[in-house]
Amino acid sequence: MMSGQSKNISFDALVVGGGIAGGEAALNLASTGFKVLLVEKELSIGGKMIMLSKVFPTLDCAACITTPKVSEISRHPNITIYTGSEVGNINKIAENNFEATIIRKPRYVVIEDCTACQLCEQACPVSVPDQYQYNLVGRKAAFIPFSIASPKAAAIDIDNCILCGACEKVCPTNCIDFTQETEEIQISVKTVILATGFKLFDPLLMPRYGFGLFKNVITSMQMERELAPTRPFNTVLRPGDGKVPDKIAYVLCTGSRDASIGNPICSQICCMYSIKQSQLLMGALPMADVTIYYLNIRSFGKGFEEFYQQAKGMGVNFVKGKIGKIRETENGNGNLILRYEDINEGIVKEAEHDMVILSVGVLPNQDASGFFPKEELKLDPYKFIYQADSLISPARTSIDGVFVAGTASGPMDIPDSILSAGSASAEAISYLIQE
Amino acid sequence: MEKKIGVYVCHCGGNISDYVDVEKVRQAIEDEGGVMLAKTTMFACSDSNQKDMVDDIKKNDLNGVVVASCSPKLHLTTFGNVSERAGLNKYNYVHANIREQVSWAHSDDKAGATEKAIHIVRAAIAKARFTESLEPNKIEAQKAVAIIGSGVAGMKAAIELSNMDCPVYIIEREFFIGGRVSQWGAMFTTNETGKEVVTRLYNDMIRRPNVTVFTGAEVITNVGSIGDFKLKVKITPRYVKEKCDRGKLQQAIDACPVVVPDEFNFNITSRKAIYHNFPSEYPQAAVIDMKSCTRCGKCESICDNIDFSQKEEILDIHVGSVLMATGFDPYTPHDGEFGYNEFANVVTLPQFKRMIELNENKLMHQGKEVKNIAYIYCVGSRQEEGGNTYCSRYCCTSAIHASLLVKKKYPSVYNYHFNRGIRTYGKQESLYYDSSAQGDIYLQAYEDALPVVTWNGSNSIVKINDILTGGREMEVEADLVVLVTGMVPRAENSVGTLFKLPKGRDKFFNEIHMKLRPVETFIDGVTIAGACQGPKNIMESVNSALSAATKSFSYVSKGELETEPIVAVIDPVLCTWCDACSKACPFDAISMTKDGTKSIALINNSVCKGCGMCLPVCPTDAIELIAYSNNEIESMIDALAHD
Repeated sequence: MMSGQSKNISFDALVVGGGIAGGEAALNLASTGFKVLLVEKELSIGGKMIMLSKVFPTLDCAACITTPKVSEISRHPNITIYTGSEVGNINKIAENNFEATIIRKPRYVVIEDCTACQLCEQACPVSVPDQYQYNLVGRKAAFIPFSIASPKAAAIDIDNCILCGACEKVCPTNCIDFTQETEEIQISVKTVILATGFKLFDPLLMPRYGFGLFKNVITSMQMERELAPTRPFNTVLRPGDGKVPDKIAYVLCTGSRDASIGNPICSQICCMYSIKQSQLLMGALPMADVTIYYLNIRSFGKGFEEFYQQAKGMGVNFVKGKIGKIRETENGNGNLILRYEDINEGIVKEAEHDMVILSVGVLPNQDASGFFPKEELKLDPYKFIYQADSLISPARTSIDGVFVAGTASGPMDIPDSILSAGSASAEAISYLIQE
Repeated sequence: MEKKIGVYVCHCGGNISDYVDVEKVRQAIEDEGGVMLAKTTMFACSDSNQKDMVDDIKKNDLNGVVVASCSPKLHLTTFGNVSERAGLNKYNYVHANIREQVSWAHSDDKAGATEKAIHIVRAAIAKARFTESLEPNKIEAQKAVAIIGSGVAGMKAAIELSNMDCPVYIIEREFFIGGRVSQWGAMFTTNETGKEVVTRLYNDMIRRPNVTVFTGAEVITNVGSIGDFKLKVKITPRYVKEKCDRGKLQQAIDACPVVVPDEFNFNITSRKAIYHNFPSEYPQAAVIDMKSCTRCGKCESICDNIDFSQKEEILDIHVGSVLMATGFDPYTPHDGEFGYNEFANVVTLPQFKRMIELNENKLMHQGKEVKNIAYIYCVGSRQEEGGNTYCSRYCCTSAIHASLLVKKKYPSVYNYHFNRGIRTYGKQESLYYDSSAQGDIYLQAYEDALPVVTWNGSNSIVKINDILTGGREMEVEADLVVLVTGMVPRAENSVGTLFKLPKGRDKFFNEIHMKLRPVETFIDGVTIAGACQGPKNIMESVNSALSAATKSFSYVSKGELETEPIVAVIDPVLCTWCDACSKACPFDAISMTKDGTKSIALINNSVCKGCGMCLPVCPTDAIELIAYSNNEIESMIDALAHD
């Protein structure tokens, strides 16, 4: 469905990735007077942060911080946003001169005309797992990504759509348009910021933890959704049977600090988000026991150690020990037996919990490595974008004029991502000015 | 004009609506005088709701808007801007906080919380009936930035501002630039040396005509505020001319009879009263430390470039913004803390790093070759309540990196790491692997039983109950004990006090909001960068420096700034100049002026923050605060007190 349609538009900067880092970098550039194209692969900007519950160590609600930022980005006169779009390639012609191809995938909805009335959602007969709720619940093939999405407009999931036309019939503004095709847009820009973010570790790669096999083993991102203001259920429950859990376990370093699954480094955020979730769970389920199984607690940032001590004070149980294996109990109650070495006592033990949360780590999103057919965008040994001058110019990559912001260069938390975005936009501004 | 007020009551996801019956609040206020529409919303701050608000304001010609949601700290500006976009002056917007002040505070009493929320919203509506359109005060912004501190953060910020065509004054208290980094050898994770990093930054900075560097310089006074800071900077002379015969100078140094501890090497070596700062000497010129100099004149008689006639200078600097990059101090253990200043072979991590630089072939300490090194972690960090409770972030990685360097340089040493859980976050984890792979031994203490250092007559003995071996008691006879000391705020921090910068629980300078405004402070126009805000490694310091430079630039770039029109106003008829208001003002915004022959108070609008401290002390009620007039406040009190 590739059309021959082609436009040639120029911007000062191309920002790839509309998460908190890309958004912040785009805003900094735009406020300084530069024209920015922000390209986001998903249907909404806001990245992973907009999906979170509260953020450590201040316990601000993530949506309350992200939504106004997202709103500011989306209505800034100097920022053009393409959602549902990907970078085809970027070619450096000369300094301050890049040509890029952006692939805009059809949404099958005219965003400007959609009022997000949800009638299409109600009419659509197809139900599939909702990726924005990390598969905890379902959605339709005609759907609004999530309640605080930006743009807040429906989209048609064409892979699952049965082309029954039900949505088209009920749409009051006739904004559903199945004739939309993939567009390839040629743009020229003077600088590029890569803010392509990270991927979460897929715990299916560690079968011994039983994710995908035992329903009450979930990921930390799924728990994040259960705790978020825009949560799918109105309470915290375990997916196996809808029971409210009362003996919850966190398995830290799932997919981090583990050479056996190919990720030897520390993901930097899991200790803190797990501690945060444990505090939120203590509030949501005052009678529940929460145990965090850890190797080392890495509460290293401003206010983090105090936050860790606070969780201890609230009664969160911290056990130093690596979980070896998780199995379901044999009596069919859906509970789980965790086998681990209690390092403090130096013995192997087992413990029963009714819900297990795998604190999954941060993996590189390697999309950007394929953007540059002619130049070499170097990656570091862990496949994050290589920082060519990490001490003095952390945002510089192996290509002059291409900068990196946020977790595209390695694991980091939200405050560090925002500062890294400030760093990338500053370097990009210098690069633009010195034209 | 009749007020037509729109009221929005926010669920905040469930942050509010879990405890406050939002619909009940809406119903309770929808018939209040002046209220034209009242709605509830899931997220008032979301893009879609903001669009709805703009449409509502335009369609209904609203001239007052109230949003009952979170703290105004978070979203007062957001909704003020929504009003502006709908063509309504933002000072007609009133914010009601029913989250921090209601739902979060009263999660145990839903009925009571709802009742309190109703009162708070009624009070906001009462205020909205009196609001008036206001225009911001415009002030001239001096297009220049002063950077306090010339470590990596300060220099990187200076270079960035210079690129943006903004004049910069960099003010360094020491006689040499480069800060702490100049004192380090090879650094994680690139193994560049401090000297290399500082040299690159200095050479880039010094060639720029719009960057002026002052060393031996201290800000002694500050008058003014955002856009218009007038600083007085005291420059202490070096007493040595920059262009100088190196040979003669060296003879002069050799001749100096005064020997004092060398701070550059953290006092493990000594220097003369006339001294260099090798290896990172920028600017390349010696200096005479007048605190130690006895004025014996020996140096002067040898080298004619020594000039005791140089005078202290006071310079006036006028800038629109100030960027603080004053760095940190390494923690100094108290006497007896893990044997510090008690046993001869106990040093701190910074001292140890200098030892690695200073010992070429063998690692020597006090005439003895060092074989076994015991590192004790978290010294000065993660202390119990009352001490430094925070983690210093960089020390685990820094100590492990030092242990790798030391093993590489002196292969016969053994490293023993007495830790409390290693925190080599992110990619720094690879150093922990490398150190384990080279055979370093890690022993971890229980939180309630930290390692103990004793003395056996010739060496230190470090004892621990080691978690990693199931609590076994272990001991190491160490030739050298390295206390892995953390970062603490600068002991000499008067420049922070001068600018009235707020500090956090950890006593480092505090940002306004870690995520939304991470480099701004509550003092408008003053930004913070690097480790003066809290422990950071070099990369993190540089990231914050660039963010701070961008922010400081945004204050001054247009040459003009808008400030809040919410300021105090004096009624010249009622005012009798009793001076009570100027004494109460925390910002020195009030002075005396003459109204004809009568003395009255004068408010400096660009300094006044509208805090209202002057109002209650005025005996003649001659002061009114714009946007918080007596009418407004009294009507709010009535609404709050009414059942």
